[in-house]
Amino acid sequence: MNSCTDCLSRNTCQSADKPMENYIRQLPRETAHHRVEGQSTKCGFGLQGVCCRLCANGPCRITPDAPRGICGANADTIVARNFLRAVAAGSGCYIHVVENTARQLKNTGLYKDKIRSEKALNHLAELLDVTGADKYDLCVKVADKVLSDLYRPEYEPMELVEKLAYKPRVQRWKELGIMPGGAKGEVFNNIVKTSTNLSSDPVEMLTSCLRLGISTGLYGLQLTNLLNDVVLGDPVIRSAPVGMNVIDPDYINILITGHQHSLFTSIQDRLLEEDVVEKAKAAGAKGFKLVGCTCVGQDLQLRGAHYTEIFDGHAGNNYISEAVLSCGAIDAVLSEFNCTLPGIEPVCDELKIKQICLDVVAKKANADYIPFNYETRQADGDRIIDEIIAAYKERRGNVPLNLFPEHGNKNTLTGVSEGSLKEFLGGSWKPLIDLIAAGKIKGLAGVVGCSSVAYGHDTLTAELAKELISRDILVLTAGCSSGGLENIGLMTPEAAELAGPNLKAVCKQLGIPPVLNFGPCLAIGRLEIVATEIATEMGVDLPQLPLVLSAAQWLEEQALADGAFGLALGLPLHLGVPPFITGSKLVAKVLTEDMVELTGGRVIIDNDGKSAADTLEAIIEEKRKALKI
Amino acid sequence: MKRIFIDPAKCDGCKNCSLACMESHRQDGGRGLYTLDLTDPVNQSRNRIISDGMGGYRPIFCRHCDSPDCANTCMSGALEKNLETGLVTYDKDKCAACFMCVMNCRYGVPAVSPDRTRIIKCDFCAHLEEGPACVRACPKKAIEVREV
Amino acid sequence: MERFVIIGAGAAGISAARVLRDFRPDDIITVISTDEKVHSRCMLHKLLGRERTVDGINFVGTDFFEQNDIIHIACQTVKKIDTEAKTVYYGESYSVPYDKLLIATGSGFFIPPIPHFREAPNVFGFRDLSDALKIDEAFAKGKRVFIVGSGLVGLDAASALCHRGAEVTIAEMAPRVMPLQTDDYAASVYQKVFEDHGCKFLLGIGASGAVVDGEGNITEVILSDGGHVPCDFIIMAAGVRPRIQLALDSGIAAERAIQVDDHLRTSAPDVYAAGDCTGLSGVWPDAMEQGKVAARNMAGVDEAYPKPYPFKNTSNFFGVSMLSAGRMDLTDGAEILVHKTPKEYKKAIVTNGKLTGYLSLGDISNNGLYLYLIKNGIDVSGKLDRLFRLTFADFYGINEKNGEFAYKV
Repeated sequence: MNSCTDCLSRNTCQSADKPMENYIRQLPRETAHHRVEGQSTKCGFGLQGVCCRLCANGPCRITPDAPRGICGANADTIVARNFLRAVAAGSGCYIHVVENTARQLKNTGLYKDKIRSEKALNHLAELLDVTGADKYDLCVKVADKVLSDLYRPEYEPMELVEKLAYKPRVQRWKELGIMPGGAKGEVFNNIVKTSTNLSSDPVEMLTSCLRLGISTGLYGLQLTNLLNDVVLGDPVIRSAPVGMNVIDPDYINILITGHQHSLFTSIQDRLLEEDVVEKAKAAGAKGFKLVGCTCVGQDLQLRGAHYTEIFDGHAGNNYISEAVLSCGAIDAVLSEFNCTLPGIEPVCDELKIKQICLDVVAKKANADYIPFNYETRQADGDRIIDEIIAAYKERRGNVPLNLFPEHGNKNTLTGVSEGSLKEFLGGSWKPLIDLIAAGKIKGLAGVVGCSSVAYGHDTLTAELAKELISRDILVLTAGCSSGGLENIGLMTPEAAELAGPNLKAVCKQLGIPPVLNFGPCLAIGRLEIVATEIATEMGVDLPQLPLVLSAAQWLEEQALADGAFGLALGLPLHLGVPPFITGSKLVAKVLTEDMVELTGGRVIIDNDGKSAADTLEAIIEEKRKALKI
Repeated sequence: MKRIFIDPAKCDGCKNCSLACMESHRQDGGRGLYTLDLTDPVNQSRNRIISDGMGGYRPIFCRHCDSPDCANTCMSGALEKNLETGLVTYDKDKCAACFMCVMNCRYGVPAVSPDRTRIIKCDFCAHLEEGPACVRACPKKAIEVREV
Repeated sequence: MERFVIIGAGAAGISAARVLRDFRPDDIITVISTDEKVHSRCMLHKLLGRERTVDGINFVGTDFFEQNDIIHIACQTVKKIDTEAKTVYYGESYSVPYDKLLIATGSGFFIPPIPHFREAPNVFGFRDLSDALKIDEAFAKGKRVFIVGSGLVGLDAASALCHRGAEVTIAEMAPRVMPLQTDDYAASVYQKVFEDHGCKFLLGIGASGAVVDGEGNITEVILSDGGHVPCDFIIMAAGVRPRIQLALDSGIAAERAIQVDDHLRTSAPDVYAAGDCTGLSGVWPDAMEQGKVAARNMAGVDEAYPKPYPFKNTSNFFGVSMLSAGRMDLTDGAEILVHKTPKEYKKAIVTNGKLTGYLSLGDISNNGLYLYLIKNGIDVSGKLDRLFRLTFADFYGINEKNGEFAYKV
């Protein structure tokens, strides 16, 4: 018998998730994991950030024979410019998310829609110093407060920075002159800076990265979470299934990808209404289910306690979305932002999966674009549902199923947030601080950010997380790193066995895993709230905490903007691969060395999990020593 | 006897071969393209990719010639044609930095080191079991090692 | 089994020995040399400058003779060749018979007829290992050196001795240093770098006499302008002459040099000559090539020696490297092109569309191309606008069969 396995069993990249690695290798179609090999020859100039294509004279590349581009820009200028451009774009992404989220909250107020957490609303109102006639009015006022800051010109400082940020940090930022102006204006201004023959000052541009980091972190991350909590409900700690086992082929399954959970709320609610369920049944399904993928799935999982009926669980991170679609039981992809990989398009075409996009910034070539519009959301939602039912009818039975029910696990701890964790600890951070002080927990590590595949899917993230917990360092995750770590079981209570003796005892006593899942990358903002609250309680500044960050497998420009926030907060930030900066000795030095003097933070680059853990552990030990604990 | 065969029609001028060469021969102890110093002349590449001005490229790599101008004119014995491997080997300890080879290589391959104490020339990545780094780095397979 | 004898262990002699061994694995090969050890005369300055040992300037490896099963008769001077009896006489009364003989005696330094210079025991050449050792000995007694001639040999000696703290004075008849290789600008660069290292130049001035002590040693050089320069010893670097005495004594045709035909055969049957003693060229690469061609002919291969192109040289002093190829003097219709930056100086002479001279100071990488263009008379008239930026890419061709490059012109 002729077999085509040879041409398909091309090498795929390694994954921390071995069952998934095998599943992907045997897929009858190409995924990102397959494409790694073909892209394994990297452009060295690109890697080092010294390829400049800002003008028609380019691309210019730096070599020993050609240390300057045609315009005269040297490696420092080229690298800093490219880097600032990336940070500005990344900031733009998160600012777009918070802008839409604030608009959702405002509309919720204006249309007197469902508010899932008044507690969150009141907390936010208090934080922002806003009062309102009633809860709806309060929604509008809170949202306006946020929006007016975002829309401020770049030369006007944003009002809420001082309310949101930790005082000692604000003080330092003022000294450094990096208090951000209007968040959108900052993005605009810095993009201008990086254009052809504009700024050539690498240090000024790096400083601008910090400013963008602050606006990204406080607004794009922290505020997005807090605004969403009002509309979508507070996270509640619970146990949930993860991985491809969450997919139930008896339902019409909708894969959601993106970062803007609030754009789904109305459709999400509608899918449970009787007339819609009847439509599903008429088509032969038991009803509808949302399957999580990428960060929006993580966010839904985080708040899953409010959505048990419609949400079956999170399947995995961005880089398994092609595999998840390959199971055949997904009938539609509803997307609104990244990380919706272009690679899903041929898979969707082949498997007749309907693609619908709600936000033009993430418009997929083959997707129907049905822009989210608050006024018409009901009618649009019904239209989307009808399209999905049509796709279901057309494809089911005609498209082979390739389910993977043994993938993942059923008992991942989720729902961890600054609020739920504090509550879990009895309403105070003191128990956690005591555990840290007593050395039961050596320190905290935020292993956050993305998933990447070029050097292995989640391999470094997993190796690092395991190394850290084995050293009694409690790992907090947010972003696609969570998706990877939960699928390999590091967030199940049994993972306590992998922890060092002290942390293991703590985990067993509290019934928690050694890796705590905060959900989407947006929740990096939550981690930072946790850090700030702990610092406040301890009466120290953030850089003094035995706390480190790692975006081990950072992928995108957004991660760089997040990272810039981490640096502005004064935290050590580990990256697996350099963000295309090593071509400039100056930029590399500022980020990895001089930053300590500026903010207290610094970048650590290491693609080896063990040695990175060594470095991070040493930093934690050093900080403990300084705190005399 | 092996030689790196060149198909200039396939070359896109990406210079991955040059960077691979620089990386393979770096002396600073570091590893990985990320940390290769691209501004240090000491790290110059042994191969060169030159534009033909019409959108194409002309890769210039040491041919390890059958009758090598460089070794034929070397007055220190540093450059030698190894008849078994076919390679023109270079021993920098023997080299007297007279640059006879530089003057005599009709293809302009051996380069003078920045400190003028030795030459820089292809060694077929003798230190790498898997053979010349440039060949492995070429995404277009414009260069390949063949028996001659 | 044939018996091959080679007189001389310089570039020509050694390259001939090696090629002969490749062709004749079982025949007897004998090399007779005046010097004890094989050495590259182009590296003598490294020995004199104490940068290298004697073994360190051996260009073939110290075990060359053992490795190649070649008999080396060292420290012996050949007195006569009996071309009838095919026997070489050397030393006191030794002899060795041959079937094929190669004379590769090289050239020796020349002392112009200046009073006392030819007789004084403290006047040395700088050609052979023995010269370098003698200078080294003399230097132990006195550091004041007077060098006659600022060609490559003179500057080699000067740079080596400067490194060791000598007081060097160089007299040059021409108005600039290295007159054969440089122009005024390149000469000034070299002059400056030598002066920066403590050398004194007397340009346009020769030695016309000497003051000697009781043992005949020169203690002061009298200059052509009447000046006096005290010194401890003298190095003659005012030119070389092919060593032809042996040939003359043996009835082999020679005038200024040993006469050879296009197969490097001398007037005597089965006697060949290669290297400087043939007067065909005075540069190392050509001597190497002549040794090879002579050896192949001796081994029975019929191979003509192409006319050499002797006008080429490189130098590298105190980190300043220079290459000169072709003729820098101007003929009718010649055009001069110059490229000058703070770090580089390049000059080209173009005659009737062809490159006839090229001088490059600074980074001379890639300049082999220009020598090829000159030697092969390649037309560059369409490329004058970028003459100094030419690379092989401008003549790019590939020999599809073996993957080598080939000039496309």
